[in-house]
Amino acid sequence: MSEENWIEVGATDSIEEEDLIRFDHQDKTFCVYKLTDGFYATDGICTHEAVHLEDGLVMDDEIECPMHQGIFNIKSGEALSPPACEDLKTYPVKVDNDKIFIKID
Amino acid sequence: MKNNIVILGGGQAGIYAAREIRQNDSKSNIKILGEENLLPYERPPLSKDFLLDKKKEEDLYFHSSDVLKNENIEFENISINKVDFENKKLFAKNDNVYSYDSLLISTGSENKKLSLDNNLKNDIYYLRNLEEAKKIKEIVSNKNKITIIGGGFIGLEIASSLSQLQKKVIVIEIGNQLMGRIIPKQIADLVQNTHIEHGNEIILNKQIEKITKKNGDYEILLNDNSLIETDFIIAGIGSTPTVKLFENTNLKLDNGIVTNQFCETSIKDVFAAGDVSNFYHPFYERNMRLESYQHAQNHGICAGKNIAGVKTEYTSIPWMWSDQFNLNLQLTGICDEYDEIIERGNDINNGVIYFFLKNNKIRGACGVGIIGKVGRDIRITSKLTEKDTIVDKQILSDQNLKLNKLIQK
Repeated sequence: MSEENWIEVGATDSIEEEDLIRFDHQDKTFCVYKLTDGFYATDGICTHEAVHLEDGLVMDDEIECPMHQGIFNIKSGEALSPPACEDLKTYPVKVDNDKIFIKID
Repeated sequence: MKNNIVILGGGQAGIYAAREIRQNDSKSNIKILGEENLLPYERPPLSKDFLLDKKKEEDLYFHSSDVLKNENIEFENISINKVDFENKKLFAKNDNVYSYDSLLISTGSENKKLSLDNNLKNDIYYLRNLEEAKKIKEIVSNKNKITIIGGGFIGLEIASSLSQLQKKVIVIEIGNQLMGRIIPKQIADLVQNTHIEHGNEIILNKQIEKITKKNGDYEILLNDNSLIETDFIIAGIGSTPTVKLFENTNLKLDNGIVTNQFCETSIKDVFAAGDVSNFYHPFYERNMRLESYQHAQNHGICAGKNIAGVKTEYTSIPWMWSDQFNLNLQLTGICDEYDEIIERGNDINNGVIYFFLKNNKIRGACGVGIIGKVGRDIRITSKLTEKDTIVDKQILSDQNLKLNKLIQK
């Protein structure tokens, strides 16, 4: 992967701990999370039905969809609870100079 | 010890129970007996994405046959017509006999039917299973003016889907509000407005006197003498637990199969879960019967644990949803035991939630909003309810204050 695939999301203090922000880039939507041990990123739309996860609830390492309570592990993307059964795609995240970057392939 | 475990009913509660049993017990035989010749599938999309062609049949199955095979769970399509609890046997219509050491009854619920003249029995459609959904989908493609009898979840979800298919839809409801069995009127009225804005006609407080067939179409006479002409009728007027098989047995029935908090029935080694069970909820200290996706799944899992010998109380706070047009409605807990109501928000675009409190503690909440807008708060409310603590009403009522402030305390 080349260096230019790292996309700037925003400042590290733009996300509260155990929370997320939505980040749109080109025609895609992502969610960027601040957990107790760092920042993580996933696709921004639930794999079950087309709803934005930005309105979901972050608990520990999990994001719960606001529509039907499908639950995903934020770090691995694994679908943990029905109705979601397809995993959520995850993306590498790095922090540089108090700014968050995600690597989009 | 190797047991024969039979699960009567091939729906969501049954499949989740089976898999949970297997997680805790690698040896026993597990057999699901299902009346439909289909592996367990999700029913919520039938009235929505399946009718709208956004989901196909193959998208609906909980698990593939490979999953069942890998976990050594047998599924058999068979109809049982007699139960002998004393000798622990089930008898099928084709003379097959099934012996069990433990039995889980997860037969679900069935649609109430309108009482009509015999010549109309095949003219009114109901929606509960995939076959019925397929039929309705095929027939409505040639119909234009469709009447839904019953303004509950299923009727309104179908009304929303048919409206999106450009049909003229009329909903007739006998009560003075939509979804009156469990949804507070304040929320029901917001949903009603959305239906009307999309062109659906909602008729409340009216009873059907007579339905007459006329040149392939129908005339519905209401009790105020008004007449509705329509070319297709679907009814969704509630459900009853599927318990006919047990009516002349010792199994204790009362609005379903009476179970305790461990999914145990009045008969030893016989358990019940899902829609069919009228279970004791230790948090609310009363019995209740629920018909929802979350309950079918969690209650099935709980029954599975208990059958496998892992004694587990069922304490899940009820939760359910309905999707209509661009709205997502959610309910948690129970909303009929309260001494105070608190409103959060007043604009459906940002979500509106009503909390139902008793002695300053949340017992339940119901909210509706554009998809995504109430889910997080309703989920937090479930947790707050479960915690059974006195809540800060200022935070509940102010949409600018995050509800998770309450949960972190």
